[in-house]
Amino acid sequence: MTPIITVRNLTKTFKVFHDHKGYFGALRNLFDRKFKLIEAVYQINFTITAGELVGYIGPNGAGKSTTIKMLTGLLVPTSGELRVNGYIPWKDRRKYVKYIGAVFGQRTTLWWDLPVCDSLNLIKHIYEIEETQFRKNLGIFREILDLDTFMETPVRSLSLGQRMRADLCAALLHDPTLVFLDEPTIGLDVVAKQRIRDFIQFINQEKHTTILLTTHDISDVAKLCERVIIIDLGKILFDGKLETLLKTFGGRRLLSVDFAEAYLKPVLENAEIISIQGSKVLYSFERDVVSASNLINQLSTKYRILDLEVHDQPIEDTIREIYEKQLLYNQPHAEKNFTS
Amino acid sequence: MQRNLTLLHRLINIQIRSQLQYPFSFFMEILGSALIQSFFFISFALVIVRFEEIGGWNLGEVAFIWGMTEFSFGLMDMIFSGFDYDYFGPLIRLGRFDQLLLRPVNITLQVLGSRFVLRRIGKIFQGAVIFLFGLSQVGVNWTPLRIIYIPILIISQVLFFGSLFIIGATTTFWTMERLEILNIFTYGGSEIMSYPMHIFPRAIRLIFTYIVPAIFLSYFPAVFILEKTDPLNAPRIVSFIAPLVSLILLWIALRFWRYGIKNYQSSGS
Repeated sequence: MTPIITVRNLTKTFKVFHDHKGYFGALRNLFDRKFKLIEAVYQINFTITAGELVGYIGPNGAGKSTTIKMLTGLLVPTSGELRVNGYIPWKDRRKYVKYIGAVFGQRTTLWWDLPVCDSLNLIKHIYEIEETQFRKNLGIFREILDLDTFMETPVRSLSLGQRMRADLCAALLHDPTLVFLDEPTIGLDVVAKQRIRDFIQFINQEKHTTILLTTHDISDVAKLCERVIIIDLGKILFDGKLETLLKTFGGRRLLSVDFAEAYLKPVLENAEIISIQGSKVLYSFERDVVSASNLINQLSTKYRILDLEVHDQPIEDTIREIYEKQLLYNQPHAEKNFTS
Repeated sequence: MQRNLTLLHRLINIQIRSQLQYPFSFFMEILGSALIQSFFFISFALVIVRFEEIGGWNLGEVAFIWGMTEFSFGLMDMIFSGFDYDYFGPLIRLGRFDQLLLRPVNITLQVLGSRFVLRRIGKIFQGAVIFLFGLSQVGVNWTPLRIIYIPILIISQVLFFGSLFIIGATTTFWTMERLEILNIFTYGGSEIMSYPMHIFPRAIRLIFTYIVPAIFLSYFPAVFILEKTDPLNAPRIVSFIAPLVSLILLWIALRFWRYGIKNYQSSGS
């Protein structure tokens, strides 16, 4: 298995400037600026093998975008080593970008005023895609992404979901070996999300494209990625299978009970009361400590109940807990002040 | 090179097509802008007709340099509009420039091809009319050199203004916002080039000789073509260095631009 991305002790420090405002502010900024240094990414390491589909997640400001921008060559690392597909991205930009595709959910690479088909045609010429390859890929993509209804529509009048589908198509027409997807499902409805997930799965499985998927939507990761990398405050907190993560930190189950009357404190052994709302009570318990049937037994012997339901704690909640309680994290973040 | 030119052609072509999507509104826009722009000249002409001349130059002679400058600036503004910092600043700020960097094509070519404002035809047309009016009024002593020099001069002016646009765009790599002060050189420069430059105070003339060498692109060449006496008493050779000046400025502008690209770094978000 050959690694396609190798990242060693990668660090990116930003100077954050306090700009002068007012009439000559822009001019003064050229000569005299105060700044502080922020380590957006600090000493991170990982390797990604050809053909993998990896989820890269973390809360806002964790360093996800900074990492992606270094991987795509838009940012020069402050220190550390970075190799993608045999290239050093920021040095070999023009040669390197031929082999990658990138979709930034918030922005479009398409031409705002042109119909989708014209945009795709320009992409064909920019990447020098062979006619047969172009036709073949476009044929497959327009079916999976359902592009036909808006092929003639100018990009500016597309809905967010349509634009995202068109952007995904544009980024993959040249058969890149590696694709960076940054928030490809942001702000989309369930149906559009599913189409995009199907597409991602298709290019990974059928075309063996390596994919690094950055997202806030943990259900994207749960549905698509075996491996997940979690970054927060510029450091990698976890790199491994999502299952492992959930086993370690999730594992909790929820039991919601609707009692026949409002009890003051309906205690159950080995279960924790999370909330009480009138006659409705929500418990949480560890799968390994106590079984659901045991709890139901306790309930029916001690109390009168109307209804009950048992389910797993949603993945979103588990991940949120990891972020909020900083379960994976134990070092304070570095921040220094400087004046030029 | 061949491939780059084909691609540039394609990029521009497709924009022209989309701008012509609504031909009537496009035509009205051009007509409107041409009319508005020509009022500047008409009001100036009304004044100069009253006083008969300005600094020894009559209406036809001023129309000659005025029209040529308007024509060249309009042409430049159409071709180099990707470098217009009112457009280029937001391109950087909103991260669209990053998208261009992710494509395997020369970045200068992409910026050049990213915007082509066909509407500028209004200004170009208006400039051409004023220029031809000027030509009809002045009796030029046509020699082969004078005939050849006029198109060379126009190309030089286009490159000259284009270089100023490139320099302006490059500064936004650092400032992110446009530097209002640069308008003095671009739009101010084209304004000043529309008049015989010896009428301006010495300080202004010096700025537009040594900092932004606009004087070599309109006043001095016009002195030669129109056979005017030059109260500045400059050596005759300065009438002929317009192409050289614009090429040197273009070289400087492209060096600065490449330096900017090389040092450009995206934001962290």
